[in-house]
Amino acid sequence: MNPGDQIPEWKLPITPTLVVSTALATRDFQDVHHDRDLAVKRGSKDIFLNILTTTGLVQRYVGEWASKQVGERYQVLECALRLGAPAYPYDELSFTGTVKEIEGDALTIDVVGAVSLGNHVNATVKIARNA
Amino acid sequence: MSGFSNSAAIVGIGATEFSKESGRSELQLSCEATLAALADAGLTPKDVDGLVTFKMDNSSEIALARELGMGDLRFFSRVDYGGGAACGTVQQAAMAVATGVADVVVCYRGFNERSGQRYGQVQSWAATQINSNGLDNAWSYPYGLSTPAATVAMQARRYMHEYGATSRDFGVVAVADRKHAATNPNAFFYGKPITIEDHQSSRLIADPLRLLDCCQESDGAVALVVVSAERAKDLPQTPAYIAAAAQGSAADQFVMTSYYRDDIGVPEMGVVGRELWRQSGLKPDDMAMAVLYDHFTPYVLMQLEELGFCGRGEAPGFIADGAIEIGGKLPINTHGGQLGEAYIHGMNGIAEGVRQVRGASINQVINADHVLVTAGTGVPTSGLVLSREVG
Amino acid sequence: MSDPITEQVKDHDWIMARAEEFKAMGETEPRLARDPVNQPMINNWVEAIGHQDPRFADGMAPPAMAQVWTMYGLDPTRPAKDPLHGTMQMLDSAGFTSVLGTNCDQVYKRALKVGEQVTITSKLDSVVGPKKTGVGEGYFVTTVNTWRVGDEEVATMLFRVLKFKPAARAPKVDKSKTIRPMRNRDTEFFWEGTKQGEIRISKCNACGELRHPPGPMCPVCHAADRGYVVASGKGTIYSFLTHHAPQLPGKELPLQLGLIELPEGIRMVGELIGEDPAIGDEVDATYEKIDDDTTLVYWRKS
Repeated sequence: MNPGDQIPEWKLPITPTLVVSTALATRDFQDVHHDRDLAVKRGSKDIFLNILTTTGLVQRYVGEWASKQVGERYQVLECALRLGAPAYPYDELSFTGTVKEIEGDALTIDVVGAVSLGNHVNATVKIARNA
Repeated sequence: MSGFSNSAAIVGIGATEFSKESGRSELQLSCEATLAALADAGLTPKDVDGLVTFKMDNSSEIALARELGMGDLRFFSRVDYGGGAACGTVQQAAMAVATGVADVVVCYRGFNERSGQRYGQVQSWAATQINSNGLDNAWSYPYGLSTPAATVAMQARRYMHEYGATSRDFGVVAVADRKHAATNPNAFFYGKPITIEDHQSSRLIADPLRLLDCCQESDGAVALVVVSAERAKDLPQTPAYIAAAAQGSAADQFVMTSYYRDDIGVPEMGVVGRELWRQSGLKPDDMAMAVLYDHFTPYVLMQLEELGFCGRGEAPGFIADGAIEIGGKLPINTHGGQLGEAYIHGMNGIAEGVRQVRGASINQVINADHVLVTAGTGVPTSGLVLSREVG
Repeated sequence: MSDPITEQVKDHDWIMARAEEFKAMGETEPRLARDPVNQPMINNWVEAIGHQDPRFADGMAPPAMAQVWTMYGLDPTRPAKDPLHGTMQMLDSAGFTSVLGTNCDQVYKRALKVGEQVTITSKLDSVVGPKKTGVGEGYFVTTVNTWRVGDEEVATMLFRVLKFKPAARAPKVDKSKTIRPMRNRDTEFFWEGTKQGEIRISKCNACGELRHPPGPMCPVCHAADRGYVVASGKGTIYSFLTHHAPQLPGKELPLQLGLIELPEGIRMVGELIGEDPAIGDEVDATYEKIDDDTTLVYWRKS
């Protein structure tokens, strides 16, 4: 494994069910994540993914790759998100990732999660090979 | 009563069908309506020696005369200010025949106002014409105040504010018009009455005006034949004598935007009314019915006040409880008006006034000895009193 | 909500002073999570996010759940001195009403285990602004949250939001299509005036009569000797309407139009800016340049 290695792309269709079920599973009851009428009234196109879910999906994307390539005992150390375009239902969230840095047991991975409106999230995730 | 009163009469009326797409040229529409009116009067194009139309009409008098094979024309005239011209054309014709300048004058108006140039849209040309009208429009058009409905809405809001009138009051006019149109097979909205709830739920066009406060846009033509009272006696139809014919413009007058004088209502219609009562020696109470120009419903209320049927601000009460429907104390627009029958720039309303005097309306009013007809409001305007009997 | 300082001018200095107060409050008291780390909530999360990992079924919480344990849920109450909540309210009251998450940086010291019950503390890190952004002008508000089990720090989160005033919607219309006023030697002075940001009212130099719209001759004394006075720019709404249909060249709908009465005794038509206009409302003149030749007067509710 070397810096510059790509993580295979992962495409996730965004559905209202995904938006609502993840909002509830993260205990985020803000109306813009489950009530389309109110979301529209507040100037949004539709309900949209909450940040906790984006955090979870970024770590799922990196984690599923890491458990195979790094080892099942990998550990997440840091996860920094820069947020961009909202992820609305009926769009597709496509993740791409690149190994940015390898330093001893620690790997830093850059992740981009893009939707049709542009980048939904730019993330930097730091993991360790084992615990 | 003036010497002019009852010296002329309308002896023939004719029209095309009223539609949203005539499929024919405007000149052809006017020719068809003129032939129909002459046939109604028992006359032929060869008898015609005078023609009058609106300044806005796209078919010239000479073009119409050529198409119909008319001979010499001794009199031709055009009247300005949009629909305000309607009764003014009859005034011109009446003065011509009463003075002997002409013998048989046809007033005509024909347009494809729905399938062609729609007056409800922005007429950019009106703001770019190089004349004083273009300069006048510089004070409204660039801001976006550029459709008839919007210019009326400005007056309607003030009227509501000053007198407590409501949108429902305006709706009463639409309901009455559509009730009358519903029984008139020639009306576009034949068989389609509306309720006040329909009016209230119609979309906003220029708040406070709703869609059902606004007249239709129509294709069609109407023509009227005017001769002297003496000549009228020899013709087949019951003459509609012109007891009075007046034009009116008030101080500080503009076209649709007379906003700079104390009263931003329609005082020009007051000018018309006072002159109609002076010429005819009649008064509002003598009118069996009225055809009030109804391109926008609020103007019908303001007209009733200007013409003296009720006091200032009293029209909402005056029109309540079916007063302006057939059977009421002053039925209006028994043909359905321009909201219900068609928008032929007021000329179809004059034809209805003639039918009432003849006793031939589909919604006939009993004892229609005298009827009132008005022309376009918000602009320099005109009006007529038509009578069944001379004197 | 009664706020004793609503009468104050809530400008940049006020915002920064209040921000300093929130910062000076330091860390909040620790707040205990509603529940201990537990398997059912982990299972819900795994199901929704779809992240299968045998460890998540075996007592280890997904690291990304750190914040989930201390979410407020549907409970509307907030600690009195919550710095994020307080800063948000403060910026709301200053007109920065919209919010957008921009950064969320989490650091995990170790994974949480079923049975542990975390506490959270938070503090305001910084308020930076005003910054012009694509969505509007606003302040970046950064808070730092720390989760602990007992005294042991287990995770931290730097959370940044943009608290902003939504920018006016991009015009959907081509203003260059605006109908230009016809003008001639009798009216040119008016349009020269609007270009210079003033309303010029025609004045008869002979008798002093003011009038609008202007013309070549005084209707009162018939003098053709005319000048102008500059209006105060104040007015009241004499009447108004809202145009919904049809489309108008160069205008965005719905369009509010007013007939404005000026204290100088004349009336003018103009576009009306401001919600819920009413007859009698006071308005102030403002100007919009359409092109080098034409500037239009607008009226904004005072």
